[in-house]
Amino acid sequence: MIEVKSVSKVFRRNGVTLEALRDVTFEVGTGQFTSIIGPSGCGKTTLLKMMAGLIAPTSGAIEIEGEKVTGSGPDRALVFQHFVLLPWADVLTNAAFGLEARGVAKSKREQIARAQLEQVGLGGFEAHYPHELSGGMQQRVGIARALAVDPDTLLMDEPFGSLDAITRQVMQRDLLKLWQETAHKTTVFVTHSMDEAALLSDYVVIMDTRPGRVAQIIEVPFPRPRSETLTESSEYREFTARLSHQLEKMQRVDMERETTQEAEGSSDG
Amino acid sequence: MVDTGTPHRDPERTLETTGFRPRPYVDIVTGWTRRYRMQALGIVLGVIAWEIAGRAGISPALPPFSAVAAAGIEVWSGERFLQAMRSTAVAIGIAFPPSVIIGVILGLLMGLLRPAEWILRPYINLALSMPLVAIIPIILLIFGLSQETIIVVIVLYVLPVVMVNTYSGVRSTSSDLLEMAASVNASRLLTIRRIVIPSARGLTLAGLRIGVGRAITGGIVAEQIVGVMGIGGLVQRLGGAFAVEELYAVIIFIGAVGVISLAAVNRIEEHYELPGA
Repeated sequence: MIEVKSVSKVFRRNGVTLEALRDVTFEVGTGQFTSIIGPSGCGKTTLLKMMAGLIAPTSGAIEIEGEKVTGSGPDRALVFQHFVLLPWADVLTNAAFGLEARGVAKSKREQIARAQLEQVGLGGFEAHYPHELSGGMQQRVGIARALAVDPDTLLMDEPFGSLDAITRQVMQRDLLKLWQETAHKTTVFVTHSMDEAALLSDYVVIMDTRPGRVAQIIEVPFPRPRSETLTESSEYREFTARLSHQLEKMQRVDMERETTQEAEGSSDG
Repeated sequence: MVDTGTPHRDPERTLETTGFRPRPYVDIVTGWTRRYRMQALGIVLGVIAWEIAGRAGISPALPPFSAVAAAGIEVWSGERFLQAMRSTAVAIGIAFPPSVIIGVILGLLMGLLRPAEWILRPYINLALSMPLVAIIPIILLIFGLSQETIIVVIVLYVLPVVMVNTYSGVRSTSSDLLEMAASVNASRLLTIRRIVIPSARGLTLAGLRIGVGRAITGGIVAEQIVGVMGIGGLVQRLGGAFAVEELYAVIIFIGAVGVISLAAVNRIEEHYELPGA
């Protein structure tokens, strides 16, 4: 279980303070898939990087299985929005990088990476370089790299955010299958897309901006195992419409707040 | 000869889409690209202009090209020239490799350790902004009229550019890649080997290329000031004796060596280019 306990984060840069997160509290159950969704600037990526141990909270704490997160650890693996592959290394070396960092011997780590690449549908591409692959395929390498270390927790930061619509859909469906077929790994998935969140997750944490905080936590009502035909059902469409509506409302409120703030700012100056 | 022209700017606009056939880039008859033909033509035109100017007798310091070429054949095969060339080549050969190795190591240290950067930065800025010619007399006082003086000057010319380029290369490492390495708990050593060094490679090689030019420059400048050895010394003596044709011949040789070494380093750079980098 991941427990986020009244986490706040304040960034200070050149004398300007920015309250990125205020008193964020929620839990992610072991073996659950939880999406964090919210408008840009709600601190969802910051929160994910805190879980990864890359950013420290200003106050509060994140505990995983009762242990406070103080840095990156072998129990977690991160998938990045922009893939972040080594451009000068082939697909196999990239997929094996997490294992290499753990000091796994070359033949062993390449064997595991090979199997993992096979699983994400990239068998036969081991010797290719990232720039020879499409965005979707590059992210498959990113996912293989994360899964290769067999983490207890998978942290995904808008993994399909920079892909085109069709590729995105394929990737979502493949991830759904992969996640359901392999042992359900505790997953935290940051996204902008309600469709994605509704298809993949057990819970959706909706966050609001300025400061970033939890607005609502919604349980996704669809039973597992889900199939991709779920997206064609009317329940699914109703559910995503409701989510969209909520997010849109938040975004509008935020925009209005910004305009009033700007108006106040200009009258001051 | 048939004009082969340049290729279309937009490779999409080929026969199928526009009805136009893109003209071939490489000359079918000679195998030369248009670019190299134009370069050769430029050189020929320059030589002709030189010949005309020389024959017009504008200045006794500007002999016609034909006279320089005639003097060159004699100079380039003479023992005096060969000995000078050997001396300069040996000085560069001794000074360049350690300058590169030490420069790369110091550059890496500067990029990886903040205090190293703080300590070395003022010296680098000084070396890169100050005319190093000014300190050659001091080096001459220390090492005397010997090849060591030349070697030290070359090192001083090459070291800072190699250092600063390697440093910039290290600092250009993508913060995303470093974050990724941190997320998998990669050791510092693995991060340097797999991420920092490949990232720094391009700029380091560029530093090497600039370094080659500076090694030749530094060596010849130092020899000119010392005045008794190497190609620079020869230039100085020929100038003093007003042996204008021979002087030009030596200068042409220096230029040719410079251009050829740059081309060679470019080749090496291309050869070691990393995929996707």
